[in-house]
Amino acid sequence: MNTVLAIAGVVIKELYRRKDFYVLFVLTAVITLVMGSVSFFHDTKMVRYVKDIALLLIWISALVIAIATTARQIPAERENRTIFPLLAKPVTRWQVILGKFAGCWLACGMALIVLYLFFVVVSGTREHHWPLLNYCQALWLQWVMLGVVIAFVLLGSVVFAAPSSNATISFIVVLGILFVGRYLNQVALQEPEPLKTLVYTLYFLIPHLEWYDVRDLIIYDQKLVGWVDCGLATLYALLYMGVFLLGAWLVFRRKPLNL
Amino acid sequence: MRETRNVKRLGPYVILVLLLAACFSLATVLQDRVSDWSKRGRSDNVLKVLLGDGRRLFADQFFVQADVSFHSGYYPSIFDQANRPKDTSHLTAKEGEPAAEEHEKQMNFLGPPRDWIERFGRHFIVNEHTHLEGSHESEILPWLKLAAELDPQKIETYTVAAYWLRDLGKVKEAERFLREGLLNNPGSYDILFELGSLYDQSSHDPARARKIWELALRRWGEQEAAGKKPDLLKLGQIADFLAHLEEKEGHLARAIQLLKLSQKGSPHPEAAQRRIDELKQKLAAPSPLANPKAR
Amino acid sequence: MEPIVETRNLRVEFRAQNSGQAKKVAVNDLNLSIRAGEVFGFLGPNGAGKTTTMNVLLGFVNATSGSAFLFGVDVREPIARQRIGYLPELTYYYKFLTAEELLRFYARIFGIPRAEADRRIEQLLKLVELDAARKRPIKTYSKGMQQRVGLAQALINNPDLLILDEPTSGLDPLGRMKVREIIQRLKNEGKTVFFSSHELGEVETVCDRVAIINQGKLKVEGRVTELVEKHQANLEQIFLNIIGYQPQLAA
Repeated sequence: MNTVLAIAGVVIKELYRRKDFYVLFVLTAVITLVMGSVSFFHDTKMVRYVKDIALLLIWISALVIAIATTARQIPAERENRTIFPLLAKPVTRWQVILGKFAGCWLACGMALIVLYLFFVVVSGTREHHWPLLNYCQALWLQWVMLGVVIAFVLLGSVVFAAPSSNATISFIVVLGILFVGRYLNQVALQEPEPLKTLVYTLYFLIPHLEWYDVRDLIIYDQKLVGWVDCGLATLYALLYMGVFLLGAWLVFRRKPLNL
Repeated sequence: MRETRNVKRLGPYVILVLLLAACFSLATVLQDRVSDWSKRGRSDNVLKVLLGDGRRLFADQFFVQADVSFHSGYYPSIFDQANRPKDTSHLTAKEGEPAAEEHEKQMNFLGPPRDWIERFGRHFIVNEHTHLEGSHESEILPWLKLAAELDPQKIETYTVAAYWLRDLGKVKEAERFLREGLLNNPGSYDILFELGSLYDQSSHDPARARKIWELALRRWGEQEAAGKKPDLLKLGQIADFLAHLEEKEGHLARAIQLLKLSQKGSPHPEAAQRRIDELKQKLAAPSPLANPKAR
Repeated sequence: MEPIVETRNLRVEFRAQNSGQAKKVAVNDLNLSIRAGEVFGFLGPNGAGKTTTMNVLLGFVNATSGSAFLFGVDVREPIARQRIGYLPELTYYYKFLTAEELLRFYARIFGIPRAEADRRIEQLLKLVELDAARKRPIKTYSKGMQQRVGLAQALINNPDLLILDEPTSGLDPLGRMKVREIIQRLKNEGKTVFFSSHELGEVETVCDRVAIINQGKLKVEGRVTELVEKHQANLEQIFLNIIGYQPQLAA
């Protein structure tokens, strides 16, 4: 565990010493504040569009941070040859995978907390209303979803040598699931066999990341998701994280690392 | 020797200055020619320059977003919408109206869940059909404003926004926005109709309302003459409202004329006919002032 | 006494890059045995199989057949690497970390308690003369400084076996001298040093025993003094003879 946390610590240090997060945060903040400062029809009480834009930017930023940070972990270690002094220590490849995953996931969690704090301040100053429990639940669900994405990208990073191809494919897959995942069963029903079976199989196999997007519940002041449902969704995500991490380890352990 | 060194040192800078001068000269020569290549670059609208005609896609999306906002996130996806007519008249329809009832049916798109994934997934989305009420109705306005910025030729944006602005008591803002819409769409009878409604119902200025509605009728006629097939329903609406105004003012003959015109576009011409008959009877009845002995 | 490093019929094959070519045998039935406390030189021309052998010992590559052991433990077990220190030829470390952070990271992997880790880091940074630069990120270091960081991280766990891959490559004469001093010091402390090098003069000075490998096969192994006496030539000449180098006659 110590080894895993040590590797995770290095990943977190890398994130906050690189400029990516700060650029994304500043961009999110600037766009949100500019949109928030615009007065539409001399009414300063409109807040939902600000929340909508802010949450959209938070989602985009968090996904970019998660995918870009994770996609380069293992390839960068190999390219920069830092994997050799690391694996020359009593470290297993499973610990490397787990450490990288933990580091990326925790780093994303920290980024999310900062972004959501900003969101709370911006929405609270306009709404004068702080449904903190709702925000915490949204943050938790988004963080859990990012865990699945990170595990998936980590699997991709041991399959694809180039971080750019891995990142591009991962973005396409994740966005595809977020936009279309929920409706694949409808699409399947409209198709003839064997496409119907294929699409339906895909529908059951993919991790349904769209469950974790509860922005509408936040923007439109809907009630919380039931805690049992939240717990089940977390368990579902943990299972998928396990599948992808195990897959990553199975591929990584076989890869020869030549000096 | 020293001179050669100086020339070598200054050489790159001189070349840079000469290149910049050449660029500047070329720009002044090309200025007029380039303006013929690209009309987009001449526009004073930043969004038009950046996005070109693609901005209309964004405008449509923002208009839909206003509708989503109106329904607090409960909205059919493109897969649900595929077989449904694109109808946003519910945005300005009152409860009990046919448009509102049709909308209620259309918004029952969720249906029973097809599998456990869909059933579980519904816990994380808005799954109740509601409309914004009270002061929350203003939440749709930013999206409409953005849609208008991106596509000033989308008339529905102005009429819907003006309707809600009036509903929220922002009559001046509604008027301003409609006039902005008219500047961008001078021949729009829809906007003129909405403006007339504003003067009639919100500003209580029937004289102005009449002028605007009559202008709306003229614009409708011009479009018909030009072969553009304008909306008959809208003609019916304008004529009906104007007829109502004329009736209130006591100009019954004019009211009858307008009601006959409204029958062309009315979904219920028999209702208009009944009103025509009532007005004809009123016209025919002798006025108490005409026969002092009748008193 | 059990050897510190042992290979038994070690064979490593790589798949050919093109389908028409045969498999490449990088290491061919290698039997090596390194005892505790000795400085062992591993020599061979480029492509002889030295790096592949090291890769197997360090667990980077799996052997096709045969076995390798560190301290009697199969190299495939991560615990086999608990008591080793490794200095790669090309020293690349996390550029965004400082030297101190890097050493602390590796110390944590070895499970060294915090207080003990602090003491060792202090000692090592002084030893490799990086005390003044400890708080600077490694990306600001020169090549020599990076090499020294590498040496420090290889020693953080006070290893009983030090594996060095071309330790003096790219160093100036002063740097080479320092490395030789460190190797000598470790030997005096009873540590085992296993290193590959092309600097035969250095190997002759520092090593107790050497092995020369060519085309994956072990060609000769023995004490330096014995080899020199037996072949009546210096190590360089022995090396060239073994690899089959024929000097061009002067015109």
